[in-house]
Amino acid sequence: MERSYKAQKVIDRLGQKLNRQVVGSLVACVHCGNCTDSCHYVLANPDDPTYAPAWKGDRLRKIFKKHFDWTGRVVPWWVGAKSPETDADLEELKDIVFGKCTNCRRCTMNCPMGVDFATFNRLTRGLLVHVGIMPEGVAVVSKDQWELGNQMGVLKEDYIDTVEWMSDELVDEVGDDKAAIPIDKSDVEVMYTINPREAKYDPRTISDAAKIFWAAGESYTMPSEGWDMTNFGLFSGDDELGGTVSRRVYEKAQALRAKKVVISECGHGYRSTLCEGANWAQFDVDFVMESSVQTMLRYIKEGKIKVDKSLNISSYTYHDSCNFARSCGMTEEPRELLNLVVSDFREMYPNRAENYCCTGGGGAMSMTEYTPQRLKSARVKADQLKATGAKVVVTSCHNCVDGLTDLIKHYGLDMEVTQLVNLVANSLLVEKAAEVPEAEHAVSTTLAFAGRTILVVDDEADARRFIATVLEDNGATVLQAVDGDEALQMMRDKKPDLVTLDLSMPGKDGGRVFEEIRNDSELSGARVCIITGKPELRRLIYERPVREPEGYINKPIQEDVLVSNLRRILELTNKAA
Amino acid sequence: MSEQLHFAEHTLQEVALGFMALVYCIRIYWFTRFTAGKERQPPTGPASTTPRKGILFSWGIIGMPWAMESSRKNMFMWLQFVLFHMGVVAAIGLSFIIPYLPEVLAIAGVIPTLQVLTGTACVIGVMRMIRRLGGKHMRAISTPDDVFSLLLLTVWFAFAFQAVPNSTANGEWQLMTYFWMTAFFLVYVPFSKISHYLYYPFTRYYLGKSMGRRGVFPFERGQPQAAPTGTPGAPALANVGAIQRVKA
Ligand code: HEM
Ligand code: SF4
Ligand code: SF4
Repeated sequence: MERSYKAQKVIDRLGQKLNRQVVGSLVACVHCGNCTDSCHYVLANPDDPTYAPAWKGDRLRKIFKKHFDWTGRVVPWWVGAKSPETDADLEELKDIVFGKCTNCRRCTMNCPMGVDFATFNRLTRGLLVHVGIMPEGVAVVSKDQWELGNQMGVLKEDYIDTVEWMSDELVDEVGDDKAAIPIDKSDVEVMYTINPREAKYDPRTISDAAKIFWAAGESYTMPSEGWDMTNFGLFSGDDELGGTVSRRVYEKAQALRAKKVVISECGHGYRSTLCEGANWAQFDVDFVMESSVQTMLRYIKEGKIKVDKSLNISSYTYHDSCNFARSCGMTEEPRELLNLVVSDFREMYPNRAENYCCTGGGGAMSMTEYTPQRLKSARVKADQLKATGAKVVVTSCHNCVDGLTDLIKHYGLDMEVTQLVNLVANSLLVEKAAEVPEAEHAVSTTLAFAGRTILVVDDEADARRFIATVLEDNGATVLQAVDGDEALQMMRDKKPDLVTLDLSMPGKDGGRVFEEIRNDSELSGARVCIITGKPELRRLIYERPVREPEGYINKPIQEDVLVSNLRRILELTNKAA
Repeated sequence: MSEQLHFAEHTLQEVALGFMALVYCIRIYWFTRFTAGKERQPPTGPASTTPRKGILFSWGIIGMPWAMESSRKNMFMWLQFVLFHMGVVAAIGLSFIIPYLPEVLAIAGVIPTLQVLTGTACVIGVMRMIRRLGGKHMRAISTPDDVFSLLLLTVWFAFAFQAVPNSTANGEWQLMTYFWMTAFFLVYVPFSKISHYLYYPFTRYYLGKSMGRRGVFPFERGQPQAAPTGTPGAPALANVGAIQRVKA
């Protein structure tokens, strides 16, 4: 049988990508099995050896041995050498390297031989991505990052709008115009870069960070481009993407003549921007880079900001992000900071470089086809969290926020997830806060959706009930529709201010409903927020020949994400109107 | 001593050693032809962790059973590894002592020591074989080379054990088998997984350098704290002493 074109390409590309570190890891494994128990997938699937790190590592090792090593070329069966021959073989490999490993590097730390499996698992992902074999979600996110400069498809206008919105809110909150968030200011001390998740789902972290910069009197700016410090290249194994994305950040910092790039709390963003990015981009960085955790800690230590830990009243534990702790050694600063802003801190075991992955790492949250196995493996983390007895888990990584939130919901834990920036902002003592006029107080205490009518379209009763309850709690009048036809009818009859539209519905799916809305002269102006459990379906919406939706949210939905996104849509489109 | 035994102890060993050395030189040349990835990232983590410290820690980690969870939680396995490799050193040493320094064996305690080392290693080899073939996970990651290498060493230890007294009183076959096996082993090793020791300095060097630069190595242990036990379904969580990093 002739080898498939893609399989041959993968083999050729492997030859180009091999460096001494990777070859060392490929030849040095003694198959001792010492790494087996270090993997959370193994612990959750004790009877399935295909989760063992060495077994997974052997998938690439086989190809390497068959084509690049000695014994494998002569007597392949003796050392388990084997070529991929068909595209189906590559698909199978894809399900292993993307679906059975989060590249958390815990096995690397536990290998006596120094085999860095996570690194060559990433390389294997890159080989497959090179020939177009990858989970749909990886393709979507990579495409967004290539084309739009950020991995969540946030349009530049939306990003700027969101920053300005947060800026206005902050100015209102503290009553000081100087608290406004600068964009593209040159010759500043700090250029602040964020995770697009903040712009999209969690803008509060932007205003919290801005509040801290303002309180510290920092000269800073947010850039209009190169603001996404995350890097899907780390997950997809695509070094070209990795280099391009980090170069955008570096070049923007240079253009603004910023002395320092501060990277908001994000494990993989920190690792990509600070550690790997310079390697991928072949770029010698001539400015300082640090995590916002270090920045906040320094502000407190230098007395630039004052905090009162009694304002954070719950019990807290800390989850070390794999990229932050295990790959970048950032273990003590977050704890030091946390202890300055909370009184009840409870360590999680094991921790630091030995912590277990949140199970959403390595881009796992974007690969919905592997969600069941991800959540199964998350039991290890759930047990770890439960054992702390804490009510809140703090983490310095947006990816971990999503991973942890999902597993907490799945395992029914009574816990919340937050980040250090939120705790620091919450405990911040602002000495000279200006008097906020009465009227503004009144606005800020009004329910978010008071006076608004929102139509929730979803075929799943549970999802509808959840969304409706959250919206009603926030003052909305909620209408509900179970399918597309009912939704269209209700829109005509009731003219809601906003529609949340589920994509996967039996019969007329959300995509078709959306297109009908946009093509209907009576309905086309409606504000629509797409809600989907499959991020890869988003493309079907954005590639339609109609005006884009006002927003989209991924399932599982978090209450605050839902509220802040819908608020954003209503407020920004109000402004635009 | 028969001529055949003399040949096995000398000429055969020298040829096999020469062959091994040659193949190893080619192997190292092959390996170093792959360029090492350059690291441009600025250092991160506490100042007490440097690439140099990271490298030293990384090389030494194998002798620090407390440093890695995998050895800390399986001390017995780690001990097996140590004793097995002490057996390797003893059995290799023996292949030099008998032909070139047989008087060493006359020193009191040398024979029993070598026999204890090779005998223990042989028993561990058997245990390891049971583990490798008996466990689902181990079987899944084992190739014929893994099984054969272990079998080869285990049988070789058994013959080394018998060869230690360097006596032909009961015939030459034990010595003869030991030396022929040693020669075979020397020739086979460069093509098998046993050549791992050749790569160990490199893999651990690069990992240590990178991890040291990034503030991960060395793990600095402060007060070990007991992990909560009884976390259902997650055996690895039990009895884990957490690593406590001490800030510089
Ligand atoms: C620098 C020298 C060496 C180092 C650092 C080293 C390291 C290791 C390590 C870390 C393991 C896995 C540990 C475990 O299973 O618990 C191992 C296994 C093994 N080593 Fe070595 N080794 C060295 C030299 C040797 C030599 C010289 C031989 C034989 C001539 C040897 C034969 C083996 C064998 C056969 C195994 C596999 C054991 C099994 O299947 O369970 N090693 N070695
Ligand atoms: S990197 Fe993490 S998820 Fe992947 S095999 Fe190793 S321990 Fe498992
Ligand atoms: S611990 Fe290292 S040498 Fe042992 S099986 Fe795992 S990767 Fe291979």
